[in-house]
Parts: sequence; structure tokens; C-alpha cells
Amino acid sequence: MTKKNIIQSIQLRLFSRKMDKVFFGKLVSFLEGLGQATIMIAETIVCIFRGHIPIKSTVSQMVEVGWRSTPIIILASFFTGMVLALQVGSATTNLFNEPVYVGTVTGFSLVIELGPVLTAIVVAGRVGAAITAQIGTMKVTEQIDALYTLGTNPIKFLAVSRFLACFFMLPILTVIANIIGIYGGMFLTTSLWDVPSSIYWSEVLDFMTVRTFIHGFIKSFFFALIIVIVACQKGFNTKNGAEGVGRATTSSVMSSMVFILISDYFLTSLLVALKIK
Amino acid sequence: MIKVENVHKQFGAKNVLCGVDLEVRDGETLVIIGASGAGKSILLKTIVGLIKPDMGSVKIDDVDITKCSSLDLHKAQKKIGYVFQEAALFDSFNVFENVAFGLKNLTSLNEKEINQRVVQCLAMVGLEKIEHLKPSELSGGMKKRVGLARAVAYQPRYVLYDEPTAGLDPIMSDIINNLMINLRKYLQVTSIVVTHDIKSAYKIADRITMLCKGEMIFNGTPEETKHTKNEYVRQFVEGSSCGPINVDKTFGMGRI
Ligand SMILES: Nc1ncnc2c1ncn2[C@@H]1O[C@H](COP(=O)(O)OP(=O)(O)O)[C@@H](O)[C@H]1O
Ligand SMILES: [Mg+2]
Repeated sequence: MTKKNIIQSIQLRLFSRKMDKVFFGKLVSFLEGLGQATIMIAETIVCIFRGHIPIKSTVSQMVEVGWRSTPIIILASFFTGMVLALQVGSATTNLFNEPVYVGTVTGFSLVIELGPVLTAIVVAGRVGAAITAQIGTMKVTEQIDALYTLGTNPIKFLAVSRFLACFFMLPILTVIANIIGIYGGMFLTTSLWDVPSSIYWSEVLDFMTVRTFIHGFIKSFFFALIIVIVACQKGFNTKNGAEGVGRATTSSVMSSMVFILISDYFLTSLLVALKIK
Repeated sequence: MIKVENVHKQFGAKNVLCGVDLEVRDGETLVIIGASGAGKSILLKTIVGLIKPDMGSVKIDDVDITKCSSLDLHKAQKKIGYVFQEAALFDSFNVFENVAFGLKNLTSLNEKEINQRVVQCLAMVGLEKIEHLKPSELSGGMKKRVGLARAVAYQPRYVLYDEPTAGLDPIMSDIINNLMINLRKYLQVTSIVVTHDIKSAYKIADRITMLCKGEMIFNGTPEETKHTKNEYVRQFVEGSSCGPINVDKTFGMGRI
């Protein structure tokens, strides 16, 4: 082996060791986060079952999460419904010379998949980011420490209300998104192709069962948990001042989106296997 | 009584506290001096249980808060008021709600009594008619005083002050000094005061102790402090850049 080769191989080995370190560092910090999140969930649930629920702030969080997210959810889901109907309609027109099953496909896609996922993504960007930024700022300005010294458990004071608000509001928002999305599809179908709305509605409702709704509903509860847990965990572990708050917020939104999309697949497989579909 | 024994704390590779021993008797005011970054804030946070030491014990009225249950820790924390270096006011609340926060959680006062107490505590730190303002509408010194009012409002037996007079004008500093003296005189409050302000230290202290390199290197009355032969203390008290406490006097230009 030439000298150059030796140097190269040494460099390569050093590099791979460095990559190992980076990889293991990431893994360790991920597991650490998982551990902290588990402890936090446990504490939150204990607080809720003991009835330590700050009513006033829970209500104000519900308004924040639910009411203030409604306009953007309505806007997003109306257009999603329209685009779904447009795609299905134009595809079936190509095949059968007329738009068929537009209501069925639009309704199904929304209720079991797009409604829950889209709503969760929008809420992760809006509410998850806000939760992390607020708790993170409180952490770096020592307000969390101040809560402790004034005899208040920060989890009880900050996490419980947000947990409840997300848990109950996300499914409601999802239902709103489903309904508005289906109306968006109807609007497009009736105006663009002159299909009577009664046909659209019968297409929507003929194949839908209670299980279809439950399928979407279970998913949205689960996504709500992901959003609020990731957001609180990132917030409570914020370090390094304003820069740290920015980093925590970005990472909160990114992580919850990734977790939502990945867990969606596995959750769907599970629900399908359990015949909840 | 607060008793700190052999407390160690490390951040990464950095040893911030390496075996701190400290005893504060009831009714006494102990002043801790030390250079910036010596670990004074970390020590105070260890004493209230916000930071768990790697080793050693912190006893508050004979309860070791580094090992006790969270309920006991909570009980011990109720006895302590903490004045944060950067005030740490809750910025979603106004001044009134900030000061009333501890009163609502830690005392059984009714609404009227809470109102009275808040007004009284704010007057004590020289603030009036600002109850409705948000912390973002206050100056740094005002925030600090609101933080002080919040910490003493529920009349804790121990108060820990982290640089209470830093950033205040000399007149306001003196008002705060008198406040600390009066709390001790009339309410028998036991205090630990971290400060850089030597004048204030002489005025309020029963004992002065110095934290340097993670250990307590000096302990004495203000009189003893003035005449000590300990070079670290001398340097700090005289405010000189020449002495055993290392500072880079070349402003990094030594490396060029
Ligand atoms: N969370 C932390 N992580 C790493 N180092 C820290 C942390 N908090 C404090 N330190 C270090 O501990 C030392 C003591 O800090 P501090 O107690 O705030 O100093 P001061 O005596 O000025 O109050 C500083 O040098 C700081 O760099
Ligand atoms: Mg400090």
C-alpha cells in the first residue's frame, strides 16, 4: 500500500468514527427526550386524575387551540375538498366520459386520511410552535424556576391545560375539516360538472359507516397527543437563550410533523387489521 | 437553619462547585461575594432545590432536600423566597398577579387580604400604582423590585437574594438594603444575599463569605472582612484587577 492510501484509509476510519459519535449522540438525545416525555405524560395524567385541572387556563387554551385555528382549518379543508373532487372528476371523465364516484372518493379520503392528517399538520405548525415558544421562553428567562419557588408544579400549571385543550380540540377541528372539505367537493362538483347535489351526497354517504368516522377520530386523538407532548417536551428542555427558543420551536414543529406522518402509516395498518375502517 | 455540606456540581467538564460548606443560622443575614461566573447563582439554586447537586447535602430545618420526597421538598420550598437575578417575572401576568401568585398558592389569605398585601409589598419596594402594568412595560430596576416584592409577599422565613441591588441606582439600592435590614429586624427573616456590591454587603451582613474556585475561601464579619489578610478577599473588596483572582488583563491581546 502506498503512503497516500494509508493516510486515506486512516482518514476514512477517523471519519467513520466521528459519524458513529454523531449518530450515537443523536440516538442518546432522542432516547433522553423519549424518557423525559414519558415522565411528563405520567405526571400530567396523574395531575388530571387527581383533579388538579386549572379550569380557567384550560378554557383559554381551548379557545386558543380550537377557536383560533378554525379559520385556517376551514380555508385549508375547503380547498382540499375542491382539489380532491377536481382530480377525481377529471380522472373519471377521462375514463368513463363523465365524473363518477366523486363524492365517494372525496368523502372517504377526507374522513379517514386527509382530514385528520391535514388538521394535525396545521395545528402542529400553529399551536405546537406557540406552545414550545412560550414554554421555552419561560424556561430561558427562569420563569419556570420561579414557578417552582412559588410552590407551583410547572407541569400542572402549563402542561395540563394545553394537554387537555389539544386532546379535545383537535378531533373537533378534524370533524369541522371533514364537513367543510366535503362541502368544498360538493361546491366544485355541482358548479363545474352540473352534477346534482343529491347525487353527490348519496355518493358520499352510501359507503360510509360509523367505523369510517371512528377510524379518523382515533387518529386525530393520537395526533393531538403527539403534538402536545412533543411541544411541551421541547419547551421544557429549551436552553441557550433566544437562539435556543428558535431552535426548540423549529425542532418541535418538524418532529411532530415527522412523527404524525410516520405514525399515521402504522396506526392505519393497526386500525385496518382491527377492521376499524 | 440552612446547612450546606460538601456540595459538588459539575456542568460537562466544568467543575462549578467543588465541596461547598455553608451554615446560615436563624435570623442571620449571610452575604456571599465572589467574581462573576464563580457559581453563586448555581449555589443559591441548589439551596432551593432547583438544581440537584452531584454530591453533598442541603438541609433546610434538618430536612435534606437533595434526598427527600417531592412533598417534603415542596414544604421546604414554601419556607423560602427567591429573588431572581433577572427578576423572572411571569410576562403573561400583570404586576398585581405576579405578586399575588405566591399568596394564592402558598397562603390561605382571602381576596381582600391578598389585595392589601400586594399593595403593601409594592409600596415597601417603592412602587405604587403599577399593579395593572405588564412586566414588559417596566424598567429593569422596577422588574427587579417587583421580583423582590413577589418573593417576600408570602412572608417566607428564608429569603435568598441573587444580586438584589445590581442595576439599581444608588438611592434605590439603599432602599433595598434597608428593606432587607427591616425584614430581618421585624420579621426575623433569615437571608442569603449574593452581591457584588461591597458597600451594601458591609451594611446588611452579619457574616460575609466568599466563593472562589468552587469553594468557600473566607468567612467572617464585615469588620473582619475589612481587615482580612486573605488576598482573594482583599482583591475583591478593593476592586483591583491585580491579584490572585485571574483575569485576562490583555483583553485577549496576549495571544496575538
Ligand atoms: N446550565 C449550565 N450549563 C453549563 N454551564 C453552566 C450552566 N449554568 C451555569 N454554568 C456555568 O457555571 C458557572 C457559574 O454560573 P453562575 O452561578 O451563574 O455564576 P455567578 O457566580 O456569576 O452567579 C458559569 O461559569 C457558567 O458558565
Ligand atoms: Mg449570578
